[in-house]
Amino acid sequence: MDLSYTEEQNLLRNSLQRFVDNSYDINHRNALTTTEEGFSRENWQQYADLGWLAMSFAEEDGGIGGTPVDTQVMMEEFGKGLIVEPFLASIVMAGTALSEAGSAAQKEALIPGLVDGSLIATVAIAEPDTHQEFERINMTAALKGGEYTLSGQKAVVLNAQSANHIIVAARTSGQDADHDGISFFIVAADSKGLSRKDFPTVDGLRASDLTFDNVKVPAENLLGEEGKGYALLTKILNRTILALSAEAVGAMEVLYKDTIAYTKQREQFDHALSDFQVLKHRMTEMFVEYSLAKSLTLKATMLETQGSEETQRTIHALKYLIGKTSRFVAQNAVQLHGGMGMTEELRVAHYFKRLTVIDAMFGNTDYHLERFVA
Amino acid sequence: MAHRIRWAGFYTRPAIHLDQEMARNSTPPQIPFGVTMLAPILMNYGTKEQQDQFLPSIRDGSVNWCQGYSEPGAGSDLANLKTRAELTEDGKHYVVNGQKIWTTLAHIAHWMFCLVRTSSNGPKQEGITFLLIPMDDPGVEVKPIITLGGTHSVNEVYLTDVKVPVDNRIGEEGKGWTYAKGLLVHERTGLAGIQNSVLGLEKAKDNASTVKIGEGTLLDVPAFRNKVGALEAELLALEFLELQTLAQVSAGGDPGPESSIMKLKGTEIQQRISELNIEAAGIYGSAWGESDGPGFARGAMGGYLGTRATTIYGGASEVQKDVIAKKVLDLG
Repeated sequence: MDLSYTEEQNLLRNSLQRFVDNSYDINHRNALTTTEEGFSRENWQQYADLGWLAMSFAEEDGGIGGTPVDTQVMMEEFGKGLIVEPFLASIVMAGTALSEAGSAAQKEALIPGLVDGSLIATVAIAEPDTHQEFERINMTAALKGGEYTLSGQKAVVLNAQSANHIIVAARTSGQDADHDGISFFIVAADSKGLSRKDFPTVDGLRASDLTFDNVKVPAENLLGEEGKGYALLTKILNRTILALSAEAVGAMEVLYKDTIAYTKQREQFDHALSDFQVLKHRMTEMFVEYSLAKSLTLKATMLETQGSEETQRTIHALKYLIGKTSRFVAQNAVQLHGGMGMTEELRVAHYFKRLTVIDAMFGNTDYHLERFVA
Repeated sequence: MAHRIRWAGFYTRPAIHLDQEMARNSTPPQIPFGVTMLAPILMNYGTKEQQDQFLPSIRDGSVNWCQGYSEPGAGSDLANLKTRAELTEDGKHYVVNGQKIWTTLAHIAHWMFCLVRTSSNGPKQEGITFLLIPMDDPGVEVKPIITLGGTHSVNEVYLTDVKVPVDNRIGEEGKGWTYAKGLLVHERTGLAGIQNSVLGLEKAKDNASTVKIGEGTLLDVPAFRNKVGALEAELLALEFLELQTLAQVSAGGDPGPESSIMKLKGTEIQQRISELNIEAAGIYGSAWGESDGPGFARGAMGGYLGTRATTIYGGASEVQKDVIAKKVLDLG
């Protein structure tokens, strides 16, 4: 089995690295988080021009036909750069939904816009009572006279304020956590009856709580088969977790390397901090745990690419391990930077916050460990 | 015979009861710098004039103090501090130059008690002097440091040719380390925040009990419940350790290096409790602004970010372990 990246994947990685190195220092990134949308449309256009937004879409849909491994490469580099543009929401989440379940007409209407950067989409699954159980869908969708009426609430929807279209999970039958009866809809963001409460997340990104008050959606905006949306829900979550895990791996790499660099130059008790064995071992542990998380990310991504039966279980193991490792690496990065690690001036603090958010999103360590051993 | 410091009522059972009541009623925390940190120093080492000048306004809370110890090159290695104080020719003033950092609440303080270097000869710990510096001196400049989560609590303090009367020196020149060190032992027991954690854990349980999971709540989920239980067990032990230490202090003893156990475990527990709150917040754990999530959700992340400092300030956990290894276990 060949476990090395292809030449194309190495080139892709290089092009992202160049972009991050040349155009995405932490001050630029932090300045973007204070803007209205929380990211740069100009950068987004550049990602489109470089083909990054097209990578994961099938060639027949106007994409480049990349695999989840290509997405993993990109997300890892985005993680190193602490990128704030809505790649996860628009390309990974909405892109997966459309690619997996979209009709020819739906794909044609949306994918070209996602790929050229002119459209942004997001996916709304979680609700106020979700906690960690994403199949617990209580938003209702009732069909009458050629249109569905959607009512209910969605919580912490990523980049909803920038989205032209929101792909929404709703219930056409059954209740609460039933797998049957979940349906997805493509909802125009400016639909009547759809209201938004926007807020930043702790890492400086953007999310919204949405209220659907009898929002009318044309029947042709049903995405996939009515009532059979559970498989799509799982697919979206899995692809999202894979992408987030790769991002976390990239962020952790920056943190363990920054920590090594800092302890080499910081002197206390007439020695560099890196001379103290207890700190050497701590940094070694950070690297060891990081290495395991990185390996499992790639394994799970390959299983997903192959469509293996082992994928689901491995993704539960992955999100558990990513959450646990992110906490360990991020907490120790701050600890070993001492007071400096607590300041917003150093980038460590910002990577710390992003990793904390990744752990909290799409099921935390306890939840995924429970599913893994179940 | 070594001077035995009197701790009056600062670290006694009534003081703990006060902490408990304040925590229970969610009052703002007591700012420790005047009341529990400087006051004992003044009462033990200050002159009658200094006591008369400073104690009444500490007692009635009208004057705010900050602590000028840490410097950019003197964190865990506090004795490495470099801020210089030189006597003027007439011997009436010190002229102070240097920089302090992580100075909590310097931006609202009227005065700073400060460790400065008056001699560079001999061991680092000698040659350190304890001075009281007015913050309104034109040579004092305070710059904010924004910490994780956008909080402004700590500062950099630049001292440029600040003229401090010799009368503002506590005790003898060159003995400042001795005065400060005794206090650090007590500061550690305070930083352990045990009473706050006891209450904090109760609040975390209340928060979790509002989170519906399946037929029950988050408190019924074994993984979560076991974490709560482990914290409760450790807090039971830590509370009793605190009482034992207080009994020792009441009997005229000193908490000694064992106070490092409390600092080490107490701060770790504070951090673990803050993690419970993020977990309880679920999908809203990441929200920073006003979301539709439960009321505790936003505070949860702020608490988690803020408590990262607890294992760094007042002697990092790594330093506490060194103290225990050296002073308790005789590990060199």
